[in-house]
Amino acid sequence: MLKNWIGHHHEHHHGIVQRLPAEFKMAAAVLIIAGTVAAPAHWHAWFASIAILLLVTAWSSRISFGFLLRRLALLSPFVVGVIVANAFRPDFHGDWRLLAARSGIGLFTVILLSNSTPFGQMLAVLKRAHVPPLLITTLALMHRYLFVLVEESERMRRARASRTLGRSRRARWRVLASVLGQLFLRASERAERIFDAMCARGWK
Amino acid sequence: MHIPDGFVDGKTAIAAATLSATGLGLALRRVRRELPARRMPLLGLAAAFLFAAQMVNFPVAGGTSGHLMGGVLVAALLGPSAAVVVLATVLLVQCLLFGDGGVSALGSNLFDMGILGAGGGFLVYRAVAARLRGLRGQVAALAFSSWCSVVFAAIGCAGQLAWSNTVAFATGFPVMTTVHMLVGLGEGAISALVFLAIHRVRPDLTSGEGQATRSGGFALGLLAVLGIAVFVVPFASPLPDALEATAHKLGFAAKVISPAVPAAAPDYRLPGIHSAIAATALAAALGTLVVLGLAMILGKVLVGKPRGHSAKEPPC
Amino acid sequence: MKSATKPAIEIENLRYRYHDGTEALRGVSLVIEPGECVGLLGPNGSGKSTLLLHLNGILPEKLTGSANVRTFGETITQQNIDQVRRRVGLLFQDPDDQLFCPTVFEDVAFGPQQLGFAGASLAERVEQALTQVGLAGYGHRSTHHLSHGEKRRACLAGVLACEPSVLILDEPTSGLDPRGRREFKHLLESISATKLIATHDLEWAVELCSRVIVLDGGAVVADGPTATVLNDEERMLAHGLERPHSLRHHHPH
Repeated sequence: MLKNWIGHHHEHHHGIVQRLPAEFKMAAAVLIIAGTVAAPAHWHAWFASIAILLLVTAWSSRISFGFLLRRLALLSPFVVGVIVANAFRPDFHGDWRLLAARSGIGLFTVILLSNSTPFGQMLAVLKRAHVPPLLITTLALMHRYLFVLVEESERMRRARASRTLGRSRRARWRVLASVLGQLFLRASERAERIFDAMCARGWK
Repeated sequence: MHIPDGFVDGKTAIAAATLSATGLGLALRRVRRELPARRMPLLGLAAAFLFAAQMVNFPVAGGTSGHLMGGVLVAALLGPSAAVVVLATVLLVQCLLFGDGGVSALGSNLFDMGILGAGGGFLVYRAVAARLRGLRGQVAALAFSSWCSVVFAAIGCAGQLAWSNTVAFATGFPVMTTVHMLVGLGEGAISALVFLAIHRVRPDLTSGEGQATRSGGFALGLLAVLGIAVFVVPFASPLPDALEATAHKLGFAAKVISPAVPAAAPDYRLPGIHSAIAATALAAALGTLVVLGLAMILGKVLVGKPRGHSAKEPPC
Repeated sequence: MKSATKPAIEIENLRYRYHDGTEALRGVSLVIEPGECVGLLGPNGSGKSTLLLHLNGILPEKLTGSANVRTFGETITQQNIDQVRRRVGLLFQDPDDQLFCPTVFEDVAFGPQQLGFAGASLAERVEQALTQVGLAGYGHRSTHHLSHGEKRRACLAGVLACEPSVLILDEPTSGLDPRGRREFKHLLESISATKLIATHDLEWAVELCSRVIVLDGGAVVADGPTATVLNDEERMLAHGLERPHSLRHHHPH
């Protein structure tokens, strides 16, 4: 399931957006989001035009709308929580519609960006922007081994679950914590093997 | 606790980003200097680990479940500077690839969860672990400081939301703090359990001797305090005049940057509002003592007798 | 008949202890001549992987030259480690450990980049290596989404791109389906480098290797022509192996 979240879509769709250079897309995304966050509430023209721009971009990217909407629907409980917390106050600073518009635009922009641009390209842009190499390498390795670890943890959980007889919460917590502990140990050992593999091919 | 776009306004995002960037820069420098080359890939793998770990559901009650945030756990295993780098990586990937946390809120989220949470939490861990003895003491310290990290992050979040005029501090602080004092219990328990699971196989990883980046906590602590001073203290002051003056000044400053932000409303004079903040602060103080006690009990229960294995431990 | 050229690999009485004190290798000695294809067999825990890690200087952790491992006549020391790693290519057991770059191109290019290649000559090397393993055009593919067999071949390409004279493989067929095994065998046969292959796959070793060395408990317990060693059923069973079926019914040649 996680595979559906990352990476596949820009390999299958061939809209204009996918072919734009990564620098351009990232810069545009940052400008759109920064502008939307800073734009005052009464600048309706800004919000409307950004929304239209995003919709047009989404359409031209040929990423299915249902897919995009499903991602949007995961706008965090945070938003709902804040709105609820504020709904009962007479002096609520800020219109809830404004909040929803800003976070919705931010989320939509990021979804479009990540589904039309391979992560490797985004990292290359960051590298050219003089982000420290250690951070770039860490990001690259995290992205590379994300799936590997998630799959490992799922396999371990399934294996443990088939052996866990205690239905109590305590038993399940013990099992899950044990799985996480194992996961960290495996990650740690894998990190050392990766270092060996890097050295074996001449890395210094 | 990932803040989406729009909940934190321009000035707050910039202020938080400045603090976070400084903290991250310092952390990166320290890691580069102190982490042995052999362990460099561990940063990326630890980030992948945190991500995978955060997806694991620990059933709580009914349909709800708890998750590991893991900032203090990673700090206890790899050191505070490495933890900040790891958390920054996780937040970046979560933001860019999953839309979890806004792009404009990256600095805010890293400040809350990385510097306040993991950094501040690590300082608590070190302080408490130094005073309690043995493995039990370490486990108790980890449980307690993990709880603290969640509460610290929540307070920072409430402060930033108030600074942005999104949620008044009088509402945000009590709600966020009390909710996360509960959520933090899960974090503390899970962190302790995972720490122990690692310890049983590789005690060298949990001893702290293998930590490459033990130092760096002080600088992070300073940044954390600075952030609290900026984001939280102005709102928490019980003196209405000082508060209004500060808020007024902030309102003026805010007007320069963003004309649409209104000046802080004068409701802080109402005694009822003040008592909400004060009551929460009191509850948090009491909660701290209670949780510390709970953490020590947890340490005893999990570790059992200092000699030999506890009969409760499963063979795997 | 001793060959005039230096042996590709020469190990003399190699000893190694793990951190907890257990002896992993107890005086291993062996010689491998250039061009040979040798199988390294042995039960789990016999020290095969540990031995292989000594051949390109990953072990021992401190290279003082006292570990008696020589490639083409030169002892492996800290000074010549770069040349050693260029000459000796190691394929790890888990391809995910070795494919640490996000795309196939970047991963295969990693080795040549360390050697100083860049630009067009780098791209040429990468394409050549990919074609050699049958993954031409896979450059842009993400390493995570490859099949297991493709991952193994991509790892091999990454090692071949450095043009090593010695190829060392740790369990290259584990996890491969029968077709993958066959294709990998053909692939290895087409590579002229000296080969040392640690494997559990005895049938495969019979097909590919002219000579096998059996390791058990950190020591060499057999070293000779494949059929001779593997036909000794008693000895095979004593060391956690067995006599492969293909040898039971055919006359060894």
